Amino acid sequence: MRPHSSLKQEFLKEWIKGLQRCSFPKKSILERKKAIKLSADIAMASARNGTTCWSRALISSAAKDGSDNNHLVKQILGPESDRPAVENKAPARQASVCKKILKRSCRIRRRGRRKCGAAAAPSSIAKHLVKKRRQILRSLIPGGEFMNEICLIEETLDYITSLRVQVDVMRSLATASVRGTE
Amino acid sequence: MNRTLPEMLQCSDMTVLQRQRARLKWQEEQFQQHQQQQQQQSYFSELDGVFSTQAGHVQGFQQGGLMSGATAAGGSDSVLSDMVMTRQLKPDPGLETAWPELGKVGMGSMGFSPCGYGIGQSFDINHASCLPSVAVAAAASKAVEVKEKMNSAVGRESFKKRKVEKLQNSKVVAEDDSKRIKANEEEGESKITGPNTNKSSNKKKETSGDTSKENSKVSDVQKPDYIHVRARRGQATDSHSLAERVRREKISERMKYLQDLVPGCNKITGKAGMLDEIINYVQSLQRQVEFLSMKLATVNPRLDFNIDNLYAKEVFPSCTTNFPTVGNMPPELANHPPYVHFNPIQQVVSGCGVEMGINSSDMALRRTISAPVSIPDASFLDTSCFTGMQQIQPSATWDVELQSLYNVAFTGSIEASGLKMEM
Repeated sequence: MRPHSSLKQEFLKEWIKGLQRCSFPKKSILERKKAIKLSADIAMASARNGTTCWSRALISSAAKDGSDNNHLVKQILGPESDRPAVENKAPARQASVCKKILKRSCRIRRRGRRKCGAAAAPSSIAKHLVKKRRQILRSLIPGGEFMNEICLIEETLDYITSLRVQVDVMRSLATASVRGTE
Repeated sequence: MNRTLPEMLQCSDMTVLQRQRARLKWQEEQFQQHQQQQQQQSYFSELDGVFSTQAGHVQGFQQGGLMSGATAAGGSDSVLSDMVMTRQLKPDPGLETAWPELGKVGMGSMGFSPCGYGIGQSFDINHASCLPSVAVAAAASKAVEVKEKMNSAVGRESFKKRKVEKLQNSKVVAEDDSKRIKANEEEGESKITGPNTNKSSNKKKETSGDTSKENSKVSDVQKPDYIHVRARRGQATDSHSLAERVRREKISERMKYLQDLVPGCNKITGKAGMLDEIINYVQSLQRQVEFLSMKLATVNPRLDFNIDNLYAKEVFPSCTTNFPTVGNMPPELANHPPYVHFNPIQQVVSGCGVEMGINSSDMALRRTISAPVSIPDASFLDTSCFTGMQQIQPSATWDVELQSLYNVAFTGSIEASGLKMEM
């Protein structure tokens, strides 16, 4: 993970800051976990500085008005310059519109394809499988529904590396904490 | 007959040879039609004639042989152009001027387009298919530079020819296709092969629409490298299929990166399988994050993440795994105030970051401390991201407190391990 060490350090920096800023409810374990995960996600996303689509989508979805963890997000992001990342709500709205258009066109295309005959050709079956999996991947990556497929793969790449970093840092933190309490 | 042949060709129970013959007949009919058309169409028939002679030789061959013949012809630009030039049975003065240019541009595509036909399609490569594709490609290339009417003519004719082409997609060409595609991958436009990638040719397409497409694609043909896109059966429209094809190529390029990233993807070749692996991996990573955050929540009821202990212990576990004897020391040392100001040790810490680059002085210092310890500095790196921390300048946006804590963590660990080993 050598190329990730800078990313790790960045992520940890942001995460600890965010955690410190959080006024932890200290009520239930689930809330705490949510706060931790949220701050981790936001830290991860802000480590990208808005260069990737998924990071923007993550932050904007977390900071969406009306979501229950909105206040947490505001706290975590704090008065810092994470606003540009948060203020992507307008694109998100546009993206939802684009999404609808995309769905409509997909439906039309599907209808057209059916007219060509129920192709039992393996290629079409394979295409179908791939399409299904792409849909699943889209649902996994934050903001994935708004991307075309090329972007989806790129975002997946980035997202996977960030997730790895997150997991590594969290794991080390967890083991350290466990040892600390021993 | 224009319709029946494609339908005939579509039924897969015909043998290859039958299909070839049927195509030949159809081509001849088309040829007749072309005679009454403009020069460009006669040009195509010329190519047809050229290929017919070839076909006569290759009829007995298998498709691979046929393909190789076609590709060989296509591959050698000069050869084919010579053939084309010499075989002007119906010389059209207008065409002759066009031919040299076509020869330059089209020959490449000529060789290519027969190859390009049809990954996963029926096996029949046919000079007829070559012809339309070649003609189309050549014409397409020409149109932009030379003659617009040629383009339109090509567009008109290409549709009829495309019907034949489409049905003649051959797997043999797939490799050539992929070769060309790789060669031209940088090119964003695959539209050049728009005429060639025609599912729609089966349906009656608006020539105007296609000609306009061809026009746009023609410009791409002018460049030596362009993306040839071959659409598959069942796709809706030309532009759609073309765009999809280009996208697919880009996607496959990026999938290769993903293959390196996701463990265990090296053996999987199919897109669906790889996507499966990727999905599983992403899901597992997300689940890990959830689990770890839950674990952190349970471990830290106060969620304050006492940084001193936290960092110290976060770093030390990596040490303790290797140096169980050292484990007892670090926690105490970590909280020692003096170490906070132990700048030289900080340098040592920076030296520990092997991948970060080590100063010579730091190396010396580190060696003295870590030699007996044989610290796999990698252990630091593996389990924590702190290895990069030493590079954080105090003037950075760090809280001084945080930074000192990091230093403490590092220095404490180093000191502890060093001290322990010296004892």
